[in-house]
Amino acid sequence: MNRRQFVTGLGAAGFALLQPARMRAAAPAPPVAIGRCKSYGDEFLASAAKMFDQLGGLGRIVKNKTVTIKINLTGDENTRQGYLSQGRTFWTHARTVGGVIHLLDRAGARRIRVVEGAWEWPASLEEFMLKSGWDPNLLLSAAPRVELLNTNMPYKGKKPYSRFPVPHGGLLFPAYDLSTAYAESDVLISMNKIKEHGTAGVTLSIKNLFGITPTTIYGNKVPVDEPAPRPYAGRTDIGHLGSRQPPKSSPAEKDPTSPRQPGYRIPRIIADLAAAVPVQLAILDGIETIAGAELPRLGTTEAIQPGVLIAGTNAVTTDAVAMAVMGFDPLADRGKAPFESCDNTLRLAEELGVGTRDLSQIEVLGEPIKNVVFKFRDHGGRRRWALPGAKWPA
Amino acid sequence: MQFENLVPLRWPSGPLEIAMRAGSKSFDAQVQQTLERWHDPASLGFLKDSSIDCIAISWAAGLPADAEQQRTAQPLIDAARSRHLAVVGWVDGKADSKAAIAAAKAAGLTAVALPGEAPDTDFPVLAWSDRAAVNWDSTAPVVVIGDNVWPGVSLAAPGADASAGPTGVPWLDSNGWYIQMACARLKAPLWVTFDPPADKGAIPAESYVKAICDSEAAGGRWVIALDDKLRADLAGGNTARWKDIASAAGFFKEHAAWKAYRSLGLVGVISSFTGTDLDLTGEILNLMARRDLLFRAIWKSRALEQPFTGLKALIYVDSELPDPPLRRKITEFVEQGGLLITGAAWGKTGQPVAPAFATQFDLLTVGQGRLAVARNAIDDPYQLAIDAQLLLSHGRDLVKIFNSPSSGCTRYTASPDGRTAVLQCLSYADRWRFGPRTIWLRDGYRSARLWTIGAPAAAMQGQPAEDYAGVEYHLPENAPKSYLALEFARKGRA
Repeated sequence: MNRRQFVTGLGAAGFALLQPARMRAAAPAPPVAIGRCKSYGDEFLASAAKMFDQLGGLGRIVKNKTVTIKINLTGDENTRQGYLSQGRTFWTHARTVGGVIHLLDRAGARRIRVVEGAWEWPASLEEFMLKSGWDPNLLLSAAPRVELLNTNMPYKGKKPYSRFPVPHGGLLFPAYDLSTAYAESDVLISMNKIKEHGTAGVTLSIKNLFGITPTTIYGNKVPVDEPAPRPYAGRTDIGHLGSRQPPKSSPAEKDPTSPRQPGYRIPRIIADLAAAVPVQLAILDGIETIAGAELPRLGTTEAIQPGVLIAGTNAVTTDAVAMAVMGFDPLADRGKAPFESCDNTLRLAEELGVGTRDLSQIEVLGEPIKNVVFKFRDHGGRRRWALPGAKWPA
Repeated sequence: MQFENLVPLRWPSGPLEIAMRAGSKSFDAQVQQTLERWHDPASLGFLKDSSIDCIAISWAAGLPADAEQQRTAQPLIDAARSRHLAVVGWVDGKADSKAAIAAAKAAGLTAVALPGEAPDTDFPVLAWSDRAAVNWDSTAPVVVIGDNVWPGVSLAAPGADASAGPTGVPWLDSNGWYIQMACARLKAPLWVTFDPPADKGAIPAESYVKAICDSEAAGGRWVIALDDKLRADLAGGNTARWKDIASAAGFFKEHAAWKAYRSLGLVGVISSFTGTDLDLTGEILNLMARRDLLFRAIWKSRALEQPFTGLKALIYVDSELPDPPLRRKITEFVEQGGLLITGAAWGKTGQPVAPAFATQFDLLTVGQGRLAVARNAIDDPYQLAIDAQLLLSHGRDLVKIFNSPSSGCTRYTASPDGRTAVLQCLSYADRWRFGPRTIWLRDGYRSARLWTIGAPAAAMQGQPAEDYAGVEYHLPENAPKSYLALEFARKGRA
């Protein structure tokens, strides 16, 4: 089932959502591939190609399709972990995107779009990359028919935004208004690094979807009635804090009396998005990343080299395997690492029928988990970064 | 007397200063005692071995205390002269300027600083005024401009964040933009005056250093003014805070040559820089500086004689259109590949093109260049600064600084012969939560040296940026945060 079919009809997963008590058993459990990889050059390309083959081949997923790659360029473009570039520490690495574009083209993808809604960025994605010292030509020259889109901005055309209802009615919002680029997409690929996260426990393929919410609708300072013509600020007020609602033109929260805590809200928004806008291919970069937080924090984060790649056709199963690789238990409840201050996003997404987080049900291809475990909590400062309200346990 | 590279220190002392401050909220017995002690020649002692070579003493204010001030200041003046210090007499608005000059001459002062037009005299008169009344054609040996701000992260601005993280954009108070603009017009060296915030008690030495750097990096010189507590400390022999201040002042005296360097900024802002035009263009300069969008201020009256060499964009948003010759020159700049950002009154010529982002400008191609014409009246300089940066494109950036919170007012300049370039980086942050800084430069150079206040130059090795054009310099983790400079030697030249 591709996105168009999903959005217009809802499928078996949507039906299963009507029965939350049985969700874990009902949630899909496709396999996940793990590969060792220590560098971003040819080794990445070879490792990724091998893993995609293990998953049944890219052509099966992308041939003649419009493929959208959601990358992760979170935070401020002028911040680095030490002297290291963002791509080596907390952003998707440009070479991994270029490599995947090349493989997608070879597999017959009809059109490839690289998307991100970075912070409050008001201009093109190319421009954001240039500001950051990230060469967009690495992507644009990797294959023909490559586009870069800042999905913070209204999509060009008659319909700037499309509505994506959340199956089962949604956990926080019943539906999300997103760039029409996502509605035009047949295949969504989520590509980012494996990291810890202050209000979601981990940044993995599901968390990456938070950035698809346009800041013209879900950003601070947006108008009361209609989307802003251009982004002004990040997503803290509507997303993390719930201190206001989106413009009236978009669906409001289901329950305005629900907790106004980032650790409650962010996991639910992410799970909603994972159900409303399913990821068909998750590619997680653990070649180089940071431990301690999702963004560089002096005294908290540390650059690390786990040397691993993880990929799967289901965001939750892939994230569950990635959590295990990071030394975490994907079944952990709130209060246990890495969810000390938030709900387990994977659990919420699982309950929405997106996929299982139960490792016993997930076939791992390639390297066994135990061979590549890299315990994130052995690295970085003890004071993990978190928004107000999130506390490190005594 | 050469005024070119004097380092002045405001020297409030004596009966006139006491009379002017008496009754003010900050005046008390201790302040009075300090003002008295600073009138004593012995108080000059802390200047020994410092780069301060000029003191600016209160001289006349049209008050009864003027005469006593001038009489009792004589020992101080004599002692200063014997230490080879220049002494400038500060004359306030209501004083009889001719009498003040005559008294200054008799007392052996080096010069007086007078508000308004200087009377016809052979005695050196520094032209002193607030921003609104500057005589831009002044032939005075030094032009002194008041009405400036204390540089730093502003706590008064709405939404200001004292922590000043890089993901936020806290408001910064800086005089850098104004000084750059003024220096582009003045023939004489520029001194600026401003006082430490009166309600903040003892100002940290670090704040003084920032104040010095903010003025110096832009090409001006601050008439250093100390807070009451620091002056009391110095009178009592406590020089702890003073050492860093003196060191910063000395650093810039040693690098006075940098003041003659020209901006390598890619955006030229053409304006009359007066009246309501200044309200808009001044704020545009201020916000461009805040965003590290390197600029060159071009006075409209001189725009015809200045080449636009090196510029990629011009901003012209004055209320009145330029005269035909200047308009022709600007149009030629556009036709040859430049970008003009301007108001609706300019008119729209050329082929419309769709801008890549939501902007207040209609974009047209003209010849090989582009014309961005505002659809409506331009009333938001912040948005204009953002749009200018995007229209120009970050693909043209010359400098990027990573891990530098609350930076701004970065200056990138080159010597007149082009053999040397200097990048001066400032940060106004009070707290620092980020790792070591990386400076990226588009230009490649033969060699680079890191200059920091109070330390010898250190050779820096650049390295190619990963997957991007340009060269990166990794600053040492312990490099000072408020200010540093990288000096480059051009490739292929001695």
